[in-house]
Amino acid sequence: MSSMRDIKQRIENVRSVEQIIKAMDMVASTKLVKIRAQLEGVRPIYRELKRVAEEVGGLEGAKEHPFYKEREVKNSLYIVFTSDRGLAGSYNANITAKALEHMNQEKKEKIITVGSKGYEFFKRKGKNIVQSVVDVIDSQVYYGSESLAKWLVDYYMKGEADEVFIAYTHFMSVLNYVPVVVKLLPLPTKDTVSDDERKYEPDLESYIDHMIPLYLHMKLFRAFSESHTSEQAARMVNMDAAGKNASEIIEDLTHLYNRKRQTAITQELNEIVGSVNILNKGGLDDS
Amino acid sequence: MADKKITLNITTPRGLKFVEKADMVVMRCIDGDLGVLYGHAPLSAILGDGILRIINNGNVKKLALFGGVAEIGKNIVNIFSTIAQRPEEIDLERAEADRQELEALFQEKIEERQIQSSLILLRRTLVRIEVSMDLEEIEYFEEESEKREF
Repeated sequence: MSSMRDIKQRIENVRSVEQIIKAMDMVASTKLVKIRAQLEGVRPIYRELKRVAEEVGGLEGAKEHPFYKEREVKNSLYIVFTSDRGLAGSYNANITAKALEHMNQEKKEKIITVGSKGYEFFKRKGKNIVQSVVDVIDSQVYYGSESLAKWLVDYYMKGEADEVFIAYTHFMSVLNYVPVVVKLLPLPTKDTVSDDERKYEPDLESYIDHMIPLYLHMKLFRAFSESHTSEQAARMVNMDAAGKNASEIIEDLTHLYNRKRQTAITQELNEIVGSVNILNKGGLDDS
Repeated sequence: MADKKITLNITTPRGLKFVEKADMVVMRCIDGDLGVLYGHAPLSAILGDGILRIINNGNVKKLALFGGVAEIGKNIVNIFSTIAQRPEEIDLERAEADRQELEALFQEKIEERQIQSSLILLRRTLVRIEVSMDLEEIEYFEEESEKREF
């Protein structure tokens, strides 16, 4: 049985943890608003570019283009988006598990991790990490994904990887986010020929050469934003739950403390009353 | 006549930024300017760094547009670009400072690979300056001489 002083100490501890939790909750919810606006902004251009890329994929001339042509798969490149910091519940575990499950389909994988949590996870698993990106400042995400897209195009063109997947967490709502693995390259070709009359300026090949890097940039930026938004939402929800738990613990401990205090007071009173009775009877010597 | 206008949509990573009706849109592609009137044949083009002119009822509006893709339909122009700026959004002082800095850079010896990226930056700065100069005279449609440094 712990003493009153121990209980008091524990209450203090839990209270300071609760303060940290509350601060993190507040930071996460502010960040969530910001990053969500960014996500809502990038979604339209991504969707449109995706449609354009798919339409081009239906054209006869595009099927032989390196971005669209299927190659014999020797190496698969994975870009996994995780967070830099923990305290986001099962957010990181979900996405890494999903990516790992995909890799285990007899793929010879190369991995690019974004966020230190993913790096730690795949390093522990002994996977082949070719590059890792950590601690990206929010304002640098846009340019970061641009340079990543450039690097990716080079890497793919050199033949270092024959297919590229991205694993990120798709943000549906604050309470609902799903980890997904999507194929990035080669781009899908359709058998049905779409909008044959459309002309391309200056020509189809240069059009693809310019359009696809932009598309990849937007796709990566969007994946980044989706993951970030999910991370902040997960953190917010988890911190909310943790805050409630902390308050509960504090309440329980306070009850316990008060009960103990009451018991101690009662005991003391009993002792006093007992002594007084004895003294009134004329002291112990009489008995 | 009234319904023979083209709709211009500009989408950037910050969302659908610009929706406008116009008689004519002139955009800078990687290999020259491209003008679009109502009823243009379907065309997709790659855009370069330059000025986008929107001509409507004799007024010209200018936007700075850097890179991207244009998708032209019969009465619609969709532009997907990373940067699109209105004249009022451009910080002229900053653009001038950038320009001076970059031009000073060319006076000195710089590395070969730096030249390319600096040239792009300088061109973008000049476009910004030209677009923001336009803010005062926005109401008038003038025949203007095309002058461009690069």
